[in-house]
Amino acid sequence: MKIKIIEREVIDPLGETSADKIELADMPDTIEKIALIDNTKPNADVILNTVSENLEKLDILNVKKPAGAAATTREIKEASKADISILAVGDCGSCTTWLILDAIKLEKEGVPTISIYSHKFSQFARSIAKAHGAENLRIVKIEHPISGQEKEDIKSKTQIIIPKIKKMLKIN
Amino acid sequence: MPNKKNKKIDSEKACECLIEDLIEENIEKNEDRLCELSENDFEVYIDPDVEKISYEFYMKKMTDGLPIIPPTKDRVLKFFEYSDRKPDDVIATIPPRWGKATIEKIAINSVMAGCIPAFMPVVQDSIQAISQDKFNLPAINATTHPVSICTIINGPISRELVINNSTGCLGPGNIANATIGRAIRLCLINIGGAIPGIGDHATMGSPSKYSFCFGEAEYESPWDPLHVERGFSKDTSTVTVMAVDSPHNVNDHRSTCAEDLLDTIVHTASVAGCNNSHVPGEMLVIMGPEHAQLVAGDGWNKTDVKEYIHENTFVPVEMGDRGGRKIESKWIDSDGNVHITRKPEDVVLVVVGGPGRHTMIAHGFGTSSDSVTIPITLKDGTPVDSIRDFKNKKL
Repeated sequence: MKIKIIEREVIDPLGETSADKIELADMPDTIEKIALIDNTKPNADVILNTVSENLEKLDILNVKKPAGAAATTREIKEASKADISILAVGDCGSCTTWLILDAIKLEKEGVPTISIYSHKFSQFARSIAKAHGAENLRIVKIEHPISGQEKEDIKSKTQIIIPKIKKMLKIN
Repeated sequence: MPNKKNKKIDSEKACECLIEDLIEENIEKNEDRLCELSENDFEVYIDPDVEKISYEFYMKKMTDGLPIIPPTKDRVLKFFEYSDRKPDDVIATIPPRWGKATIEKIAINSVMAGCIPAFMPVVQDSIQAISQDKFNLPAINATTHPVSICTIINGPISRELVINNSTGCLGPGNIANATIGRAIRLCLINIGGAIPGIGDHATMGSPSKYSFCFGEAEYESPWDPLHVERGFSKDTSTVTVMAVDSPHNVNDHRSTCAEDLLDTIVHTASVAGCNNSHVPGEMLVIMGPEHAQLVAGDGWNKTDVKEYIHENTFVPVEMGDRGGRKIESKWIDSDGNVHITRKPEDVVLVVVGGPGRHTMIAHGFGTSSDSVTIPITLKDGTPVDSIRDFKNKKL
């Protein structure tokens, strides 16, 4: 007699994902006004001010949003008045998550975005963007850490990423 | 079960019959008693080896590090009996992966956590509660902060499931308290992708992330329990979820009046370095029954207690302003202090525990997360009197 012992199978506990692909808004050939979205994390303002100083001749619209929560409809609407938005900074889990989600919200509104993350959180940022069908979201890495650092150090770190931002903005 | 008569016999095809299928279908013909697709005279199905499956799942980052119960089909099916929804119904999508929390996936993770099937409605509703916008799960799951999800069960179902609200209820030792919280955590890991270092970025994490679930000692409390305070009848069962730090003990054996005791609690709660000290929000006060009876004995109602704690729990702004973001001026009072809570209602007060003169406090996640209380109901919104109401109520 042939006896076969069969082990019962186990079922996969992982949740399925499905996200519709989000088409990123095209970067315009000419930019007149840029919204700088400060999520109020320490030194986000220093990063954005340094970016601003390097973008002469452009109108700047300053917008603030909470770090660990969604930008309000009013804040998104305000930022949408500019041609493009630059968001900073994702240097922790919750602020990175919401910076990506807010950037995606703006892209859906037709506003091209560039968002800035510390290099320790940029991979996570990309994975969230991917989970939302926006794998190619414009993400710029700045050297971690950001919080608790001297202003001059943050300015120096920001200078390193200015050429990349300018390239994304098609500015020479 | 497949119709064997019309099925082409293929010796290379594995037989997929399960004993459950045979029982369910009530096979009449003798020849079907042994599947004719089988090359064997006798087949025995056994459960997978717990140690082996636990390690396999662990290597795939699908556990919290502890051994799991292997989620076999028969175990998962038993959990479906305690949900009136279909297995593929989506209860929520869980960040940061935005995985779909279907009834099936919640049941699988509950099996793994060691839940018994009757816990299913509580886990299911907890997942629904944490997915409400005001709870802010995208931040809670991904943050560097060691925030955990505290789940408080009120009403008759809490007692029916013997959720511990007395001695040692914050652990260890009770299957409901230990596994309901664990099931929620496994859902976050496996459905939501909140894997430490990948989707969950807590700098250190927290022991409270393994499980943090308890009931309220409603019969020991001199005041209305949490769910009644939030507008539900005492006979309605509810799930409350709250994002909090690990609790800190308040040992006060010597105070003989309400004010002295509350001052000890206030002193423990007035600390810089919590989220609330720069972005004020809710704070959980888990008050032991002996403490509650002392306070109530002095004529204090629940509102009085919440107001007192709110008014007196604060830190100087220069200490508070060292957190994750700069304090907004609206949180600074005329004396230059930051209150840990925004308003008396932010003091979430429950009476919990056994004999002894202890209270525990746990600061919340701050301004950006609020606790959520939902009633345990059938799909059509009818509150349930008993967990057994879910059985045979498929819609």
